[in-house]
Amino acid sequence: MNRAISKIIFAAASVIFALLFLAPLSTVIQGGFWVNGRLTTDYLIGVFRNPIYSEGLFNSLMLAIGTTSLVTLIAVPLAWLTNKYDFPAKKWVSGLILVPMILPPFVGAIGFQQILGPYGGLNTLLGLGPVDWLGRMQYWGVVSLQALALYPIMYLNANAALANIDPAMEEAAANLGCKGFTKFRRITLPLMMPGLFAGGTIVFIWSFTELGTPLILNYTKCASVQVFDALKEIGTNPFPYALVFVMLVCSVALYALGKFVLGGQAYAMQSKAATVSNVRTVTGARGLLVLLPFAFVILVALTPHLGVIATSLAKPGSWYQSVFPASLTLGNYAEALGHEMTVSSIRNSLLYSSLAVAFNTVLGIAIAFVVVRSDLRGRGILDALAMLPLAVPGLVMAFGYLAISAHVSNTDWVKTSPFWQNLLDVRTNPTFFLVIAYSIRRLPYMVRSAVAGLQQTSVTLEEAAANLGAGFLTTLRRITVPLITANLIAGGLLAFAFSMLEVSDSLMLAQRADYYPITKTIYELFHLIGTGQYIASALGVWAMAFLAVTILGASLILGKKLGAIFRA
Amino acid sequence: MAVAIRFDNVTKRFGDLTVVERINLEIEPGELFFLLGPSGCGKTTLLRSLAGFYVPESGSIWIGDRDVTRLPPDERDTGMVFQSYALWPHMTVAQNVAFGLELRKIPRDEIDQRVADALAMVKMGDRADYKPNQLSGGQQQRVALARALVIRPQCLLLDEPLSNLDAKLRLDMRTEIRRICKQAGLTAIYVTHDQKEALSIADRMAILDRGTIQQCGTPESVYRRPVNRFVANFIGETNFIDARVASISNGRATLDSPVGPIISTALPEAPLSIGQEVTISLRPEVIHVGTEPKDPSNVFTGNIHDTVYLGEMAQHWVNLPPVSSFEEIALKVFELNPKILAHDEEVKEARVWFRPENAVVLVT
Repeated sequence: MNRAISKIIFAAASVIFALLFLAPLSTVIQGGFWVNGRLTTDYLIGVFRNPIYSEGLFNSLMLAIGTTSLVTLIAVPLAWLTNKYDFPAKKWVSGLILVPMILPPFVGAIGFQQILGPYGGLNTLLGLGPVDWLGRMQYWGVVSLQALALYPIMYLNANAALANIDPAMEEAAANLGCKGFTKFRRITLPLMMPGLFAGGTIVFIWSFTELGTPLILNYTKCASVQVFDALKEIGTNPFPYALVFVMLVCSVALYALGKFVLGGQAYAMQSKAATVSNVRTVTGARGLLVLLPFAFVILVALTPHLGVIATSLAKPGSWYQSVFPASLTLGNYAEALGHEMTVSSIRNSLLYSSLAVAFNTVLGIAIAFVVVRSDLRGRGILDALAMLPLAVPGLVMAFGYLAISAHVSNTDWVKTSPFWQNLLDVRTNPTFFLVIAYSIRRLPYMVRSAVAGLQQTSVTLEEAAANLGAGFLTTLRRITVPLITANLIAGGLLAFAFSMLEVSDSLMLAQRADYYPITKTIYELFHLIGTGQYIASALGVWAMAFLAVTILGASLILGKKLGAIFRA
Repeated sequence: MAVAIRFDNVTKRFGDLTVVERINLEIEPGELFFLLGPSGCGKTTLLRSLAGFYVPESGSIWIGDRDVTRLPPDERDTGMVFQSYALWPHMTVAQNVAFGLELRKIPRDEIDQRVADALAMVKMGDRADYKPNQLSGGQQQRVALARALVIRPQCLLLDEPLSNLDAKLRLDMRTEIRRICKQAGLTAIYVTHDQKEALSIADRMAILDRGTIQQCGTPESVYRRPVNRFVANFIGETNFIDARVASISNGRATLDSPVGPIISTALPEAPLSIGQEVTISLRPEVIHVGTEPKDPSNVFTGNIHDTVYLGEMAQHWVNLPPVSSFEEIALKVFELNPKILAHDEEVKEARVWFRPENAVVLVT
């Protein structure tokens, strides 16, 4: 490819990326260290001295450790079974096992509350009095909800890692007399470690900074909720900045550790699939025995969402001291669709997500093009940078955008101009920042998809077009983009689906009811006294169905490659 | 229509690695010219520099009277056939072929006509609506050729176009390619490492090794009069005998070799001096074995110690006993329509002879 063109694309992509990604981060850092015109570490130290903040950080860390451990315990045995056995209904099960991933734990929490609340289904089923399970075990409630939503990420990574192991490795161990659990511990597990770290890193960062679930379950003593509560003081109080900075450092450090120290040493296999892997077919009673853990995990993981569905169908007030709602109705759906806030929120979410995906597609193709097709020196750095949004929690990004907005909307040129106010002041109109936040967070999926597509597409196909007289843009439009369309659609669908149910950015940046996206509306409805949670559930069910359809579409297009997108 | 192509002192480096160095080549209008050499010799680099995918560090490249050295690929008007064919999988055969014409803003009905003509020329007219992945390797190759030719380029560039085909198809296609090139009256540059392809259809060829041209000429001249050990060894098979110049008169040299004096009339351009160390290259098929010598100059007696029967010929290993303290020399000899049977029980004594014009003297 023409060097001049790649240099221009490289420069443009770098500048846009730096502005939209690095600027909010530097605002966060600046806000915590540069106070009243001087550099200070008082607030950083203050975060650790302040008993409330340090407890919040500690609790968040414990949430992340608990969630990651639980996720590993669930996912690794399942992945091992998948790779070892052919059992009845395996095809169905291996699809269903991924479903929880697409259901945001934040929505599930509403159903969870209905089932585990003092007057909820579980207590009635067990014939107990009003035991407040969630009040007593808030920590475990958050951990299990998160784990049940995030284990598919680990499962996909573990599965890919196992599939990548040359069966001859295990056969060689068996040949030397090593078998059973010893073989797994000494040979298989070490070989799949890089994959586990890759998945574990994403799960850890995700649960470390998750905002929606603790918020709904009212677990307020964790850092993410504390940041959320401190948003009102964003212009005046440096402490939330420092708190966010600590979360940022922890996440990036962990990401770096996972990627460059532990995950980086992926073992090169001598041969891939040189021998047919020894998958054993089990039927009958033994087949059911293998099936059992899958069925159990799927059932438990879907319980919160079944709870949401049940709530959405319950007549307001009828799910009280009963296992299931006493009387059912479709009225909540009618009311949800009739409520002016929900209708506008669906429209808003569609608009934000579409814009975000469109922006992402252009930026993603540009970055992928430079990374794969040019020989520019900095392309490796650009590639690594484009992956960084995986390492930076949504909460941190949202906080950064909010801080920028708060900062610029205080300047005179914004104050006096309706145009700039609409664009840059989230209190007036959050569209710009929400679109940017949605797209930057999902950029890695898009870049990965486009890079994979370009790598699979021989460069000679583009050269052949140039040879026949096609310029750069013609080649891009007629040859390159059509050839990687499947990848772009898959990446775009994923980005779109995740944008539609984005939590942190939406809760923090959308501050006016007529600009609320779906998630913020669910959150606000949930807090309405009376029928709120029923309408919120109905909207949640609608959103889950929508998300299920998009992800299904993505997986059909992308096939087995879906897992590759969730690897750090 | 046909244009000349000229490489003028072209040097191309990748980082510290010099891939081709100071290449000078003149290719005549309408010539089918081959760049031949082992992998890594720089032949593909030269071709891609001509197509515009590489820009040389120094020197210039001319197509006709245009200096194209720094022109982007899409402005050079060359038609290239890629080694992997590079057919676009999302377009049909006809769409692939029509692409270049569409870019040239040619009216639709003319495009249709020219696409049909081009596909007919490569005998693919009945596959116009197929997708590339529904075609066999040979069919894809012909579509790639049609796509390059349909734009009526100034020159045709072929990058190992037959290397992905099976042996039988390769034979058919190479004569087909020559027929099409000559019919279209195009200047064509053909890159390959397969000497058979080059020898059979080239007008002229350049042999490259490690980024420099070793020899340039017609297939016959390169084969019969290689200028150095590399060319003699790369094109065809040969025997090398180290020797020393004993005397020269009237273009006829006597050379002292380990097996006795050898007479040669195939001398290098540069004058030889008495006592100079040289190498004699003897093709296996110019050595006669077991027949009555028709030229008294170079006659030896040796032992056939191994024979491989190949049908149309036999391949013998003949040991020639040395004079004085040298080691004996093993010569590979081809006997056409073989009379000496394979695997005969005993080592046979045989008379070996060759003509002075076939003993090629190499200086390096």
